Amino acid sequence: MQRLLELGQDMALLWQNYSAGYLSGIKNTLILAVVATIIGCVIGLICGVLNTIPYTKNDPLPKRFILKLIRAVVRVYVEVFRGTPMVLQAVFIYYGLPYFTYNTVQWPSVWAASILVVSINTGAYMAESVRGGIISIDPGQTEGAKAIGMNHVQTMTSVVLPQALRNIMPQIGNNFIINIKDTSVMFIITFTEFFAFHRYITGVNNMYFPSATIEMNLLVPAAHARAADGRLRQL
Amino acid sequence: MSGEILEIRHLSKAFGSHVVLRDIDFTVRPGDVTSIIGASGSGKSTLLRCINLLETPTSGEIVFHGKDVTGKDVKETEYRSKVGMVFQSFNLFNNMTVLDNCMVGQVKVLKKSKEEARENAMKYLDRVGMAPYIKAKPRQISGGQKQRVAIARALAMEPEVLLFDEPTSALDPEMVGEVLEVMRGLADDGMTMLVVTHEMAFARDVSNSVVFMSDGVICEQGDPKEVFANPKQQRTREFLARFSKG
Repeated sequence: MQRLLELGQDMALLWQNYSAGYLSGIKNTLILAVVATIIGCVIGLICGVLNTIPYTKNDPLPKRFILKLIRAVVRVYVEVFRGTPMVLQAVFIYYGLPYFTYNTVQWPSVWAASILVVSINTGAYMAESVRGGIISIDPGQTEGAKAIGMNHVQTMTSVVLPQALRNIMPQIGNNFIINIKDTSVMFIITFTEFFAFHRYITGVNNMYFPSATIEMNLLVPAAHARAADGRLRQL
Repeated sequence: MSGEILEIRHLSKAFGSHVVLRDIDFTVRPGDVTSIIGASGSGKSTLLRCINLLETPTSGEIVFHGKDVTGKDVKETEYRSKVGMVFQSFNLFNNMTVLDNCMVGQVKVLKKSKEEARENAMKYLDRVGMAPYIKAKPRQISGGQKQRVAIARALAMEPEVLLFDEPTSALDPEMVGEVLEVMRGLADDGMTMLVVTHEMAFARDVSNSVVFMSDGVICEQGDPKEVFANPKQQRTREFLARFSKG
């Protein structure tokens, strides 16, 4: 009990001095997560749709070649970015650009780099979700559309995607929550989100636990994203 | 115009080394109601799917108004919009209402205005008795109702030929009646129809031509009264024997 009171005092002390810092850390985290989730979904949607364009043996060779190439490229992209830790991807991309350009090109801001890394990462996960969503739609739906003379684009936009996107809505919510948490690894490229601020504070004083408790309390509202996700599902 | 709408010439289809259809030949004239009967696995459905180019024939020709549609210069989508198809499992678009199901093809493929498409869709939905259900989603209506909507959807495209792939096989006996009733009405109005079916009474009484398939070949074809009364082939006799007994 005594310890809890002390924790309260420590937290109050930290909050008094650094509340602006904590709040801006959370704010940066949320902005990054929202923006990157949206861009990631767009990337995933494009990859998933390109990846499921059907081809048959009777199609002309260039068409088959391009479609196979697209599938191979998407495959590699998905495997690389799902198979490696995001913290490593961040370092790879953030320091890779100046390295290969002999420091002539720098990232315009750490924001740009962070958004890119998280978007690409989310895109890799969403590409698979979208592909799964599309191939899970009963082939009869596609046949019904074909039988009345619809082409692939019409079939996708009118029939398959509306059904597939509904099914992957929970995945989008899921990715958003994951992004809120996982953007913390962006501290490695000096992005100041909530965890980076926590590290800054604990570098100044020793209050690891009180600081972490404040962060936990601030991040709980992220759970409200779940409620939003639930509402999406009912759409 | 020449006598035939559709002419199937030496059509064959193989899945890998498994030959499903062998040298199929027959013609469809305007107003014909042709029933394709035969045991399961005899290639009836594959034949119908080949005719609509949902499957690509391995060899042979499908001649529509004097033009081979398996050729590369023919636009598949345009051909399909003129040859309607009704499936065993209905294949209504689950994300659309009954009315939208019947409108989407007209708007997207035939480029009709929404008002025109709606009017046309209503005409055919009314005809199959589904006009009161236009706002329902496919999951809210029964199998027989779904199939009637599917027929209206195909009709709304105003096709020259309508293909039916076992339209009543997924329905309970009561619902079979309502769907067959609609099909009978279409036949009476002179719609050109090609029907794969296990409904022998329909094949005998409604169609004016019957094709009996066995093991991927046409075993016997001709006037239904003739084929049902005096089947010439042993295989046809065996198949029909079960029907006439039952």
